Amino acid sequence: MARPKTVRAPTTASLPNNLRIPSSTPSLTKSLGKLSRQALLDLAFTWLDDRNVASFPPYLQTNDDTPDDDDALPYPAGKTTEEVRQVYEDLQDRKGAKREVIERILEGDWRHGITLRQLAMADLRYMDDHPASLRWTALELSRIDTKRKNSKGLPPPDWSGSVPRMQAATFVQSLQREISPLVKAHYHLAHSATLPLTFLRIFVVDSPYQSPRQAAEIFTDSSRVIYVAFPDSCPYVYTSIAASTGSKSAPSASSVATDTRTLQRLVRDSIPKALSRPQERFSLQVTSLAAKNLPTLLALRGPGRSTASNGAFSIFADAATEGSPLDPRPSNTVSPEEHIRASYSSPTEGKENTNGRASKRRSSGIDTAPLSPDSKKRRLAIHSRFGTLGSSLAPAPLDRLDIRLLDKPGSSDEQYDDDVDDSTFTPPALSLTFSGSDVIGGIRRLAELGIVDPERMPSWMTGEEGVSVATVRLGRRLQKDI
Amino acid sequence: MTTMTSHAPASPDPEEEELDSEIASIRAEIQNLQKHKRILTSSLLTTDPIQKLLRKQPQPPTINPTDPLTTISPLVHAAGAHTFSNHHRIAFGATAFPFKDPSPTANGATLLGVRIDVCARNGRFAKPYYVILQKERSRAGPGAGGANSKVLKVYRHTVPAFISIAKLESVYLPRPGVTRDNGDGVEGGSSGEDEDTEPAKPWKKGGNSARKQDLRGFVRELRRELVAWHMRVDAVEFLREKLGLVGEGGGPLPFDVSPDRDTGIVSLAAVAIEARHVRIEWVDGRVGRFKLSNTGIVERAVVIGDQGRDKKVEDAITGGGGRVETVLDRLRVVLSGSPGL
Repeated sequence: MARPKTVRAPTTASLPNNLRIPSSTPSLTKSLGKLSRQALLDLAFTWLDDRNVASFPPYLQTNDDTPDDDDALPYPAGKTTEEVRQVYEDLQDRKGAKREVIERILEGDWRHGITLRQLAMADLRYMDDHPASLRWTALELSRIDTKRKNSKGLPPPDWSGSVPRMQAATFVQSLQREISPLVKAHYHLAHSATLPLTFLRIFVVDSPYQSPRQAAEIFTDSSRVIYVAFPDSCPYVYTSIAASTGSKSAPSASSVATDTRTLQRLVRDSIPKALSRPQERFSLQVTSLAAKNLPTLLALRGPGRSTASNGAFSIFADAATEGSPLDPRPSNTVSPEEHIRASYSSPTEGKENTNGRASKRRSSGIDTAPLSPDSKKRRLAIHSRFGTLGSSLAPAPLDRLDIRLLDKPGSSDEQYDDDVDDSTFTPPALSLTFSGSDVIGGIRRLAELGIVDPERMPSWMTGEEGVSVATVRLGRRLQKDI
Repeated sequence: MTTMTSHAPASPDPEEEELDSEIASIRAEIQNLQKHKRILTSSLLTTDPIQKLLRKQPQPPTINPTDPLTTISPLVHAAGAHTFSNHHRIAFGATAFPFKDPSPTANGATLLGVRIDVCARNGRFAKPYYVILQKERSRAGPGAGGANSKVLKVYRHTVPAFISIAKLESVYLPRPGVTRDNGDGVEGGSSGEDEDTEPAKPWKKGGNSARKQDLRGFVRELRRELVAWHMRVDAVEFLREKLGLVGEGGGPLPFDVSPDRDTGIVSLAAVAIEARHVRIEWVDGRVGRFKLSNTGIVERAVVIGDQGRDKKVEDAITGGGGRVETVLDRLRVVLSGSPGL
């Protein structure tokens, strides 16, 4: 199955989907080994599906195959696709280690190699199963306005035109046009099975040839893979930050532009260009949010309600303050505990409201349990400061929060947003880094335990800004200067 | 409670398990009934005759300490106020309320909250949308009216991201000297309107053009956009129901669906959350896509089959007034006659 190596001319085409990585590559076992047994079986079924089997043909026994060749291998080749499918159904039925599935795939049915597309599908499947496996940065797509100063007239009739429409194929084509002179890439685009996201997996190599001669290890080098995720219907883009200290197995001696960091920057730069159209150009801007968890990004920079109201305002995002206008019960008579339990147990239709959705008043009637007045007061304060954030209702864990405090010692009420007189002196800066599985939830716990004063803590501690990096002065986040 | 805890360590006895599940179901029913009772009591309290009756009693002539009316009266008042605000929410769709930011570093001023209610197709209301506006002292040039001049600025909101609040804000709530990243440069379209929601204050700024903030226009446009979105979603849902693509519980059916008998459509779904584009798939492999306008008109349609574009079907989708609700009827006329389906 080796590709003919006679013609090797540099091209600008992308790496083909069916470029096979030899199954004997040891790192292939490792990258498939990340997946669970069930995931591997699902993948195999997808590959063997009638609609896909042409793209991922399994190794079948042909007539001219010498039988003794097969005897050397532990897995006899199937005769038909149906037969191969049956093998995996048998594997599905009985319990066993995932090791045997991997071996079956690599040494049995795909012994002629795993294609790049198969590898990409395996990686995306892993991403679906482990949404916190990578660190993602949220970027905002914003339109570069070509100064329409003469349009004094009608306002644009379409207020929702700010999201660039993405046609997957067209986008990949123009991305390819942007980066092909610099790198060779393989693209894989797929909609996530679990989240409202479209993933684009870009694998880059620094060879102009269609079938690179590098060691096969390079294809499984995760530092050469860049993920871009496009959430549905919102002007944000998430990119993965490739680990900067990735494996140096493939020293890129050929040119400067091939270390993974540069490649990543190249790709990131070309995304807005690929999305742009004449008269409609976009640029990417940082939104100071990076998190390991894709649901977090979707909650804080996504299409939903909670993008622009967090912390104390999350009660609005969850509509936890008041019920539907058809609810006859005054909203302060419904105890929040009951409500939280009720709405948590039935996380039904995303935007539809159920009738009995009414809940806590802003700060009155929060609590009915017998508590000491002190802790009662604290609970009220916590509820009003954090809203529903950090509780089980709105799981959007931040794994890291970097805060830079710029408060001058003894500074009074000088207003916050002018950086004018900053140039004259350098204020002492204090950097705080919180990290953990859920930073905001942790601060909320601290407040519940009475370690943090919920009434006096600044609002960045409540996750109100929805950022993971912020510069703070006088308890307020500075908009620029990030 | 005791049954629950005692059952945990012991090995599950089938009979015990059955009892447990029975107890759990009874508990759930009790809870449901209690909820129902609460809803009934509050609806009863809010009914017009009862409100009138209870209000008419001026001062009860004999103050009986056990008179239920005196103890009930705060409840009645609360229920009355609640109905009142609910009536406003239903009738006007946009209501305002004050909100106090609990943050100690907030500038102390009360925020202005706007609540927008949208009624969906099934007669229920969607989760209300909120826009929290901040009053900001104008930091304009010397021409500004000093401390008196306050401008509104969107502080927090729960509007989905595909509706550009920034753009709306820059048109309807322009602030002098503030340039936002996006949406800047769009001149106000409604600066000539006389109506102002706030009491007349001179929002004239030196230097910049004297554009007024138009909160009413802002809310109107925002609500229109939200309603249009809900209508689009509802229209797609309506079409799916007509095609029988929606399961009993409202969820999607398993993957294999039999194609619609007359039109041969196997799938019809909105492309993204925004529900601006709708994608159709036919059983013979044709794929189509159409764009919905805010008013429910199919603006554009493309249908591509094996032989290129299918203009006849495209015309059927956009033609005849273009209402989205009748798309299937028009398709039926065209497709049921054509052979090969």
